[in-house]
Amino acid sequence: MSSRRQRSRQSGASRITDDQIADLVSKLQQLIPEIRSRRSQKASASKVLQETCKYIRNLHQEVDDLSHRLSGLLQSTDADSAQAAIIRSLLM
Amino acid sequence: MNHCVPDFHEMEEADLIPTPSSFSTLKKTTTGEEDIMELLWQNGQVVVQSQNQRPPNRSGSRSGSGEVVIPLEREIRSSAEEQQHLFIQEDEMASWLLDDSSFDRDFYADLLYSAPPPLPEIRPPPIPPPVARPDNPPRVQNFVHFSRLPIRPRPPARESSTVVESNETPAPAPESRVSHSGPPDSATVRTGGTSAAAGTCDLTAASSPGSSPTSFSGDTHQPQHKLAAAPEDRKRKVREADDNECQSEDIEFEAAEGKKQGCGSASTKRSRAAEVHNLSERRRRDRINEKMRALQELIPRCNKSDKASMLDEAIEYLKSLQLQVQMMSMSCGMVPMMYPVGVQQYMPAAMGLGMGMDMGMSRPMVPYPPMMAGSAMPNPAAAAAHMGPRFPLPPFHMQPVPVPDPSALQPTNRADHVSNSTAIPQNQNQNQNQPRFQNFPDPYQQYLGFHPTQLPIPQNQGVVQHDANKPSTSKDIGNPHNQQTG
Repeated sequence: MSSRRQRSRQSGASRITDDQIADLVSKLQQLIPEIRSRRSQKASASKVLQETCKYIRNLHQEVDDLSHRLSGLLQSTDADSAQAAIIRSLLM
Repeated sequence: MNHCVPDFHEMEEADLIPTPSSFSTLKKTTTGEEDIMELLWQNGQVVVQSQNQRPPNRSGSRSGSGEVVIPLEREIRSSAEEQQHLFIQEDEMASWLLDDSSFDRDFYADLLYSAPPPLPEIRPPPIPPPVARPDNPPRVQNFVHFSRLPIRPRPPARESSTVVESNETPAPAPESRVSHSGPPDSATVRTGGTSAAAGTCDLTAASSPGSSPTSFSGDTHQPQHKLAAAPEDRKRKVREADDNECQSEDIEFEAAEGKKQGCGSASTKRSRAAEVHNLSERRRRDRINEKMRALQELIPRCNKSDKASMLDEAIEYLKSLQLQVQMMSMSCGMVPMMYPVGVQQYMPAAMGLGMGMDMGMSRPMVPYPPMMAGSAMPNPAAAAAHMGPRFPLPPFHMQPVPVPDPSALQPTNRADHVSNSTAIPQNQNQNQNQPRFQNFPDPYQQYLGFHPTQLPIPQNQGVVQHDANKPSTSKDIGNPHNQQTG
């Protein structure tokens, strides 16, 4: 494919090939539970990327929620308690 | 209708032996208009004849056939462009084809056989009059029909085929005549034609109608072969393409239609197919690039420009994020349990978690994996250790504490960080926390001390030198306390 040729031309030394990209995409696919649960090797690169973006946004959201919760917990606990420290560390 | 009759008569007189009778019966005719196909009942078959076809002369037969062909071709070609259109056309064409076939038959009859004919024989779609027209190279004529046939038989072909089927008996005759194929062949051809039609439809739907006849390589037998090999037609795309080149061109020349010049030529088709392929490929690549850009924006501090490294970062970031969420949810679940259960028991693990989190996951939370999430820990820990410095947990807005940079996690600062990890960095604005933390670290310093050693730090970041700093941490821990207290 021309893209492959171009890539090889551009990255002569790094030799980024389609196989490499495909490999990375499959790795990504393994991380995403949605796609992983389905039959593997069926998702296209575009689909994997899309799911990755969605998943990362979800994780961000989750992290925000958890941090909110943790901060709430922190306030509810003694400031001196160990768990407060833990929470703080987590929130950091 | 009326005008048609005279034509028939003419034809009869001129050439056709068997046909004249066929023409006599006019079941129905369309309004006589130029280029309008008239439905005529010939020998029990509805034949569509174009007005242009009037003169059935031999010389004119060609033209007549050509004429017939032309309109049909036109119809076919234009319709071929769009299947739907095609369907409509096909149905109509079927009757027209009958007409053609009848014409052909007539011609053929003259040439080939004295025997009568085949009137009903052909079903419009399926069997293109295998007999070549007398004037034109048989191939052309055949192809004309063939071109029609394949087109017709496409999706709508089923209908025509069914109709044809009913008339099967008569149809075979012409074929046998022309291509020397017996009725069975024609029958098969017919069925094959229908199926082939479907197949050809698929094949040639995109391409010009001319392609359909392509498989007919100019042999009289071809049409039948083509029909019979309907399923093979699909496989013969290439061959068809080649055939199209010669045949379709001929046909087109005959028809003198520039409808889709390219439609007939294989080269045009191929180039078009290649174009289509390129376009789709380009669209696919665009989609992927767009998604990669979106992903790149989501990843913090991603300055990679090439795809592979960017995907690498994405994978790492995703793992770190997963780990982070896991830890936080764990701690959320753990916090309520801290009091009920032995705090000390959990603290180290929690501390480990906290420390790990705080230090940008540079230290895997290994110390007490079984106590905590258990199986989840080792993996995330390893992953965290691996990715630690790259993706320090994002500083939550809840605590205005800047996330310690990996660079900050130097051995010299480790002690501070160690103590800070357990308690929010004292140098932060949270002054009120400092005094609290002063008390806090004491009971757990020992654990903190353990922390470094216990943490398997595969990292070579140099950020964490747990083992070496163990002894120093205790000392350093003391220092910060002094500082804090002071």
